[in-house]
Amino acid sequence: MNDSEFLGRRSHGYPSTRAMGPVWLASIRDLQWRSRRFLLAVFATGLVFGLALMISGVANSFNVEVRNTVGAISARFWFVPTGSLGPFTVAAPFPASEAAAIQRIPGVTAANPILVSRALTDGAITTSDSTSASVSSEQAVNLIGVVPGGVGSPRVAEGKPLRQRDTAVVDESLGVKVGQEIGLNGVRFKVNGLVRGVTYFAGQPVVFVTLRAADALTADGKALATAVLARGMPLRSTSGFTALTDAQVRADLARPTAQAAETIKLIEYLLWLVAAGIIGAIVYLSALERRGDFAVLKAVGTPSSHLFFGLVIQAVLIALGAAIVGILVEIPMSGTSQMAVRLAQSNYLAVPVVAVIVGVVASVPPARRAARVDPALAFGGGK
Amino acid sequence: MTLLEVTDLTVEYSSGGYKVRPLNDFTLHVDKRELTVLLGASGCGKSTLLSAIAGLLRPLSGSIRVGGAEVVGLGNRALTRYRQTSVGIVFQAFNLIPSLNARENIELICRTAGQSRARGRERAEHLLEMMDLGDRMNHRPGSMSGGQQQRIAIARALALDPPVILADEPTAHLDYIQVEGVLRTLRDLADADRTVIIATHDERLLPLADRIVELSPRVARVATAEEHRNLQDGDVLFQQGDPGALVYTVESGLIQLVRVRDDGAEEVINEVAAGAYFGELAPMFGLPRSAMARAAGPTVVTGFPVSEFRAHMRSAPRTK
Repeated sequence: MNDSEFLGRRSHGYPSTRAMGPVWLASIRDLQWRSRRFLLAVFATGLVFGLALMISGVANSFNVEVRNTVGAISARFWFVPTGSLGPFTVAAPFPASEAAAIQRIPGVTAANPILVSRALTDGAITTSDSTSASVSSEQAVNLIGVVPGGVGSPRVAEGKPLRQRDTAVVDESLGVKVGQEIGLNGVRFKVNGLVRGVTYFAGQPVVFVTLRAADALTADGKALATAVLARGMPLRSTSGFTALTDAQVRADLARPTAQAAETIKLIEYLLWLVAAGIIGAIVYLSALERRGDFAVLKAVGTPSSHLFFGLVIQAVLIALGAAIVGILVEIPMSGTSQMAVRLAQSNYLAVPVVAVIVGVVASVPPARRAARVDPALAFGGGK
Repeated sequence: MTLLEVTDLTVEYSSGGYKVRPLNDFTLHVDKRELTVLLGASGCGKSTLLSAIAGLLRPLSGSIRVGGAEVVGLGNRALTRYRQTSVGIVFQAFNLIPSLNARENIELICRTAGQSRARGRERAEHLLEMMDLGDRMNHRPGSMSGGQQQRIAIARALALDPPVILADEPTAHLDYIQVEGVLRTLRDLADADRTVIIATHDERLLPLADRIVELSPRVARVATAEEHRNLQDGDVLFQQGDPGALVYTVESGLIQLVRVRDDGAEEVINEVAAGAYFGELAPMFGLPRSAMARAAGPTVVTGFPVSEFRAHMRSAPRTK
């Protein structure tokens, strides 16, 4: 027998594909062995993932609703009084007749005034035959007065466009149907049509009424406007007005919720961190309990890298399990949210990816501990 | 043919902040097909020697050769490979992985060494059949008796067919019925072209042994002549870790008992003045000296063999 027969020829560092077999075997069996604890970790982490997903949806909704609302109004340019930050945040009403001057600007093909304001539904929603009442609580809504058929008049998803002064087109999130009536600041309006996803200020629905109705509700009947919407390509502005693009208007609309969106995003990151903490704590505890096992495995020739990757695998499996639980619980959780939750398919697909990252990060401290266990601990009669 | 050669092996490690040297210039040569029993009390270095042979402890000095190949100084990867292929270890408390069943405990070792799943499983089943545990393959260790667990542990040690088997107190957790089966198995292993080294304080194993190595330094307890020593300031009477043969009384001057910490710092644990004695535990119990004895100024001491000391101590006050 020569040296190489005793000491071996092959080197063992990071596990090869075949060597991952025993790593999987030991990791899966340990998960089964401590299944209650790991299931608890999966469930707890899953709740955190679900919450993070929902929070992410809330943060998304701020951007989506701004895009939808500005898109629904479909103007090329928004003329606001010079010095005004935008039509939504610092409204400076002016006579609606100013629209005529803007209409005359070369390059403008159409221009109509718009009034952006707020209103309160009175809570009573009645059907057209006035027989029953599907009542929702009193609710603040975003009121936009537009010229029916003019620039800014919304394209409805259901029902008919805005026509008469006593009709309204509302966002479906208000919970009313076409044909029902709603009260706005005490005045009854018949719902002619519905729009989808047209909300702002964290999910508050938009109600479109005619400009004259809006003036009556909020300006004592004076013919006022807060912006003039224009189509075409104006070659110049007009005295006292500044033309804003859609992008500028979106920035204006997002301004009031910007801080909230940032805070929510921070909470989302903190929740991912909490999830990593839960996984890390569970795997660390497992690593401490298995210290004797690791010492034995090292003593009988298991490379440290196998022990390291074994714990990484466990953490990733917990995280992936938690990702599934998180996606499942997000739907009922979001249902209870008073704020809009907008999640795209990509958000759901991102959860397992983030979960793997969270799992890997969480597993590093316990995995390092396992890899550093002194194999001599295996001797001495105890584990 | 000599399979295992341990030469001038010195192992030192830290324990509780102090340096401990359980093995000092230890030499042992073991042949193939030999079953060697390392006998000695707890703490005499049996497990330390097994750990060093298994490549789990790096000795301070000396050489360990298995089949002519030097083990001391191997890098981490080579050591890992050495542990896989050259030594099989049977631990005192079985140390089976509780989440794996009997077959998987063995299969894991085979697959870690690069064997395929099928081959690892086949090997595990073969070894368990050999240990008369064919009907317990799918049982976890927790549902088996101590004897069955120890036989699985032996099967695991044989997983990669190593030439050297190390067993640490293999009978410690077994009743006399279970001991019988384990002893027979260990004897059979040595007869099958292997070297088996068993560390134990269980004297029931002695009839099995081809060679018995007593690790407690009983030789040091054999009485030697009484001796007088004149020490100058700083002279060292004995070092921490030295074998002890004599009990000393201080005739004049002062002896400091100094313990050396693992960071090299010295800690005076006692001072022995004229008329008092020290150093009785090492010769009485066959232990190494637990501290260094050093003169603090000109000092005269007399060393007595244990038997003579007993007679002498009637007239000498005991030191603290």
